Amino acid sequence: MSSRGSMLFVLHAHLPYVNHPEDAAFLEENWFFEAVVETYVPIISVLERLAAEGIRPGLAVSISPTLGAMLENEALEKKLGLYVEARLELLEKELERARDIPPLLKTVKLYQKLYEEAAALLHKYSGDLITPLKSLQHAGQIEIITTSATHAVLPLLTRPEAVRAQLAAAAEDYQDRFNRKPSGFWLPECAYEPRLNSFLKLSGFNYTFTESHSLDGAAQTANGVHAPYRTSNGLRLFARDSASSSEVWSSKTGYPGDPAYREFYRDLGYDGDYEYMRPYLGVDGIRRPLGLKYHRITGHEADLSAKQYYDPDEALLRVEAHATDFLARRMKQTEDFYASRSARPLIVSCYDAELFGHWWFEGPAFLEAVIRKIRVERLPLQLVTPSEYLNSCQEPQEISPGISSWAEKGYFDPWVNETNDFIYPAVYAATDKMIETANRFRNQDLSSVNARALNQAARETLLSQSSDWAFLLYIDSHADYAKRRLEGHAAGAIKLLGEVIAGRVDEKDLAALEKHNSLFPRLDFRVFASVSKF
Amino acid sequence: MPELSRPLPHEDRLVLLPKNPGQYFIFWQFSEGRADSFHAASFAPEIELRLYYADDRSPAAVHKAQWQAGSAYLPVPERGGNCEAVLYALRGGAWEKLLESNQAAAPAAAGLAEERAYASLEFHKKVLS
Repeated sequence: MSSRGSMLFVLHAHLPYVNHPEDAAFLEENWFFEAVVETYVPIISVLERLAAEGIRPGLAVSISPTLGAMLENEALEKKLGLYVEARLELLEKELERARDIPPLLKTVKLYQKLYEEAAALLHKYSGDLITPLKSLQHAGQIEIITTSATHAVLPLLTRPEAVRAQLAAAAEDYQDRFNRKPSGFWLPECAYEPRLNSFLKLSGFNYTFTESHSLDGAAQTANGVHAPYRTSNGLRLFARDSASSSEVWSSKTGYPGDPAYREFYRDLGYDGDYEYMRPYLGVDGIRRPLGLKYHRITGHEADLSAKQYYDPDEALLRVEAHATDFLARRMKQTEDFYASRSARPLIVSCYDAELFGHWWFEGPAFLEAVIRKIRVERLPLQLVTPSEYLNSCQEPQEISPGISSWAEKGYFDPWVNETNDFIYPAVYAATDKMIETANRFRNQDLSSVNARALNQAARETLLSQSSDWAFLLYIDSHADYAKRRLEGHAAGAIKLLGEVIAGRVDEKDLAALEKHNSLFPRLDFRVFASVSKF
Repeated sequence: MPELSRPLPHEDRLVLLPKNPGQYFIFWQFSEGRADSFHAASFAPEIELRLYYADDRSPAAVHKAQWQAGSAYLPVPERGGNCEAVLYALRGGAWEKLLESNQAAAPAAAGLAEERAYASLEFHKKVLS
């Protein structure tokens, strides 16, 4: 059957840059290890499996530069290996403990398989998961895009130099990592404002994504969110389809809330006997999630203690049903659109990648089932990547979208509120100082140490602008860590810049910062200059 | 409100950030000399934050604040659009312009009629907890 519409899946993968080489184990590094095992490895496995079977996934994957740097960081890879090893050791013990509890045994075996697959994939690629993603892109199976250097919410950076630096560093990082120029840009938190059009175009990006209500204030659009648009300077825009998003995002009305699916909150780290668990908790010995969760949601009102054992087979049946339902809704969406406008709609479905696997444990299986059904059952839906769609569609309508984000309430509330607004003086102090110093030294011959100090100051400044610190403060999760990080990066930048100006760079401190925050290896501080060489 | 534990450089700065269709966030910092003038009561403690429409520089609103507050949330003027702020302080009965902000565009209220499934806070809470 010929296609009645197209589907564009975007998975945005991002984690804040967390790298503590001075510590054998560091709590916040677990975010990365958990995401690798529960999300990145399963998704890469799905993509590779489909590709091997001749089923082209045809989706877009956004890899943030901070995540990319962590995926290529050898010290983190070693720690990841130890993390997986420790979990496998614990799972061996769990197999023994669950021997006489058949429903538990089934899930323990499932986790064992999950960790063994992670170990195997990491071994296959020598710990570097960028390699398979690069291969998948090279083979035309997926399209990889990037986002701002440290996931800064760009409308909150009022200095044009800061926006340019975020984009230039991201573009260079992408080129170094994926051996080609990036075409697509994921706006962190889908945070858009018209000022960004020219920055994105000048930085070499061809298209980006906005939240659906960015179109509300625009001129009359013929096809709503179901077509790409262009701005006056030629930037292409895709607007997110909220219908297909809510079915997946919402834990209450969406698929992830199904009673058969795995419960996120009940975790062996809290359930297990303390002495038995102790070797697997952090150095502080505080109980915390270990990622081994043996229960199902059971019911939203059910107390955690009343949750029933998870049944992987039952969950997989629900995955199949949900994939079928998701596609039936998309077909209805396309049929309705086609019937009313005689045009083939585009459905743009954007999700945080970490939703699939880490939070919604069955998410990777759902994704696989959806893609497989479209291809195998020859449904009249075409999976496309953004560039493929733009290359084949008519010249998009020109519009002027409005300021928006995909956050709670649709604008910038989570990053600017009473819990976190105290960070902005520090962010702006570092940013202003960085710009002023870049302007001062951009045309000067610099000693090696001064150049290193300025480049590291640029890294610290970029890291201070990350959206993650404000967000962690807002949700009051790891808030002390977020505050320390923000303060540390801003203070580090200001200190280094002051030392360069004074002609007294502390090389020991500089080396420590370079080791600690080692992303963007080719970053040139001049990206912050007012008339940038970029 | 938490405070940063490391002292920031004493610099003049007035920054206006968009929050949502109804509010701007504004913060200000003073150089050492200016702060001393406030401490020494050369300037009155109450300052004015005057908002102007950026397109024609017409006045949009005036808000009072204490200089030591350092920040405030300001309602977006009725006309919305692109604004900039100017900070004035009173000395010897005359208002003096001390700081000018960047321009900041407030979002237009785009009628969020439906319950949207944003990349939900709920999800992030779970991911990062």
